[in-house]
Amino acid sequence: MGYRAKKAVVAASLLALSTAFETVSKRSPEMRAEIARWNDGRAFAMGVLPRGPAITMRNEGGRLRYAGPGYHDPDVKILFKNVDNALLPLTGRIGADIAFVQHRAALHGEVAHGMQTSRALAIVQTYLLPGFILRRTFKRPPRLSARQWFLKAWVMGTLPFGMAVNFAKR
Amino acid sequence: MIPEYYEFACPTKIISGFKALSNLPYEMSLLGAARALVVTDQGVAGAGLIKRVHAVFEGADGVIGAVYDETPVDSGSEAVRAVADAYRGHECDCLVAVGGGSCIDTAKGALIVLAEDSADLKAYQGAERFNKPTCPFIVVPTTAGTGSEATLAAVIRDEATRTKMALTSYRLFPDVAILDPKMTVTMPPHITAATGMDALTHAVEAYCSLQKNPMSDAFSQAAIRLIMRHLIDCVRNGGDEQARLAMANAALFAGISFSNAMIGVVHALAHACGGVCRIPHGVANAVLLPWGMEYNAGKAGDALAALGPVLGADATVTGAIGAVRDLRARLGELCGLPETLGAAGVEAEQLDAIARVAIDDGSVTYNPEDVTYDDALGILKNAL
Repeated sequence: MGYRAKKAVVAASLLALSTAFETVSKRSPEMRAEIARWNDGRAFAMGVLPRGPAITMRNEGGRLRYAGPGYHDPDVKILFKNVDNALLPLTGRIGADIAFVQHRAALHGEVAHGMQTSRALAIVQTYLLPGFILRRTFKRPPRLSARQWFLKAWVMGTLPFGMAVNFAKR
Repeated sequence: MIPEYYEFACPTKIISGFKALSNLPYEMSLLGAARALVVTDQGVAGAGLIKRVHAVFEGADGVIGAVYDETPVDSGSEAVRAVADAYRGHECDCLVAVGGGSCIDTAKGALIVLAEDSADLKAYQGAERFNKPTCPFIVVPTTAGTGSEATLAAVIRDEATRTKMALTSYRLFPDVAILDPKMTVTMPPHITAATGMDALTHAVEAYCSLQKNPMSDAFSQAAIRLIMRHLIDCVRNGGDEQARLAMANAALFAGISFSNAMIGVVHALAHACGGVCRIPHGVANAVLLPWGMEYNAGKAGDALAALGPVLGADATVTGAIGAVRDLRARLGELCGLPETLGAAGVEAEQLDAIARVAIDDGSVTYNPEDVTYDDALGILKNAL
């Protein structure tokens, strides 16, 4: 796969994540509990160095909103060192923890905020990724309740529409 | 087994041995420096160790431009700014940290301030955020535990927000680490024990970390062997320079290991104990290490069992944990090192706050087992 194709896959994956963050933060009690202690307006970004795709998410009233592509004054940045390093976790081949463990990503910003962002990302991945990937990439794969299975179906079902809406924000 | 991917770095020149400190002026000259700012604290100065540093400059080309001896127990942003001001004010051209982790981390913070010409350390929190060349930097540790003389990390308290800033950059590796047993012989037994257990925790956690690699494993094993052989001797007889030199090397090896493999749940909890209850870092590590090993036994059982013989026990998880508990008990008998969090001064009501802080610690990422709030609280209750 060439650079442009990899970049397109990463951009699409980030867009899917942005949509899932919005849906899950609206409907998941676990996610709402996780971001309850975040300051209103706190933002985080995920992107690819040096000038690759990126998204920014912002906490607005206890829900995460897509602030658009690129970096919009984030408090925390999760930066993949190149597009290959971004592809591995974004396509479920390695977990987010392992991306840091293998130096594929660097955290810019307060570490505590980075850890909170990482936990929020794990919650979103629970709803976004299939079970066989979760079993491979999570230290302790989640066991979903009936409510969580329903939300997972909702997240997957609304994903294309949400991605289209967020794509239009560029 | 070789990991599918790893990185390893240790660009620090190591000078270890009797009268190693005498080489300080020569090492400065090799780095193109001639006027040092010595960063230390009142305890080190009061123990007469700065006099030793002054003495080695007799007849040398280099000089000590100034001594900053106001480093607080927890390195802070104000001390960092004061060091940078002293460096500029006395027209120094290199930093020489003489002390424990706080002095070394304060000097690392000053490296950033001087290189970036910015006093706002918050802007550099996280990993690999500054890349400008730094001034020559030499470290002379006076404790044998922190390992900061060979790491790329610094933890500095932000007095304005009362939070701890974690900064990592390959630019923060010291150019030279000088291990001279004369510089650690004045450590009292209880600090010798606590800092030694800190080094042991670095080595064990790095060996079980998700980021472990063959290089870090070798340094961890070397560190653990030295600690098991010499820590008790250092506590019994602080003037035993052979044992002191061995422990200085052990702490350095453990520092190299964890700088590359990182640490885990024990350090996450120990950092939180320090932040919430002001428990000395080495004491918290000593109490929590066996509990952390037990917690990780499911995911890191093979690594822990392999450490058994290195720790002087059989090649089982229970053997490895038992050896650590035995060492801690002996240190408790010799110098009163606490064996429980309660004995160290932690109250049951504080466990909730400690657990909440611990799960936001970056060390959790590298721990083999997942660590939730409930998990952290469970370990703390066991250790209380």
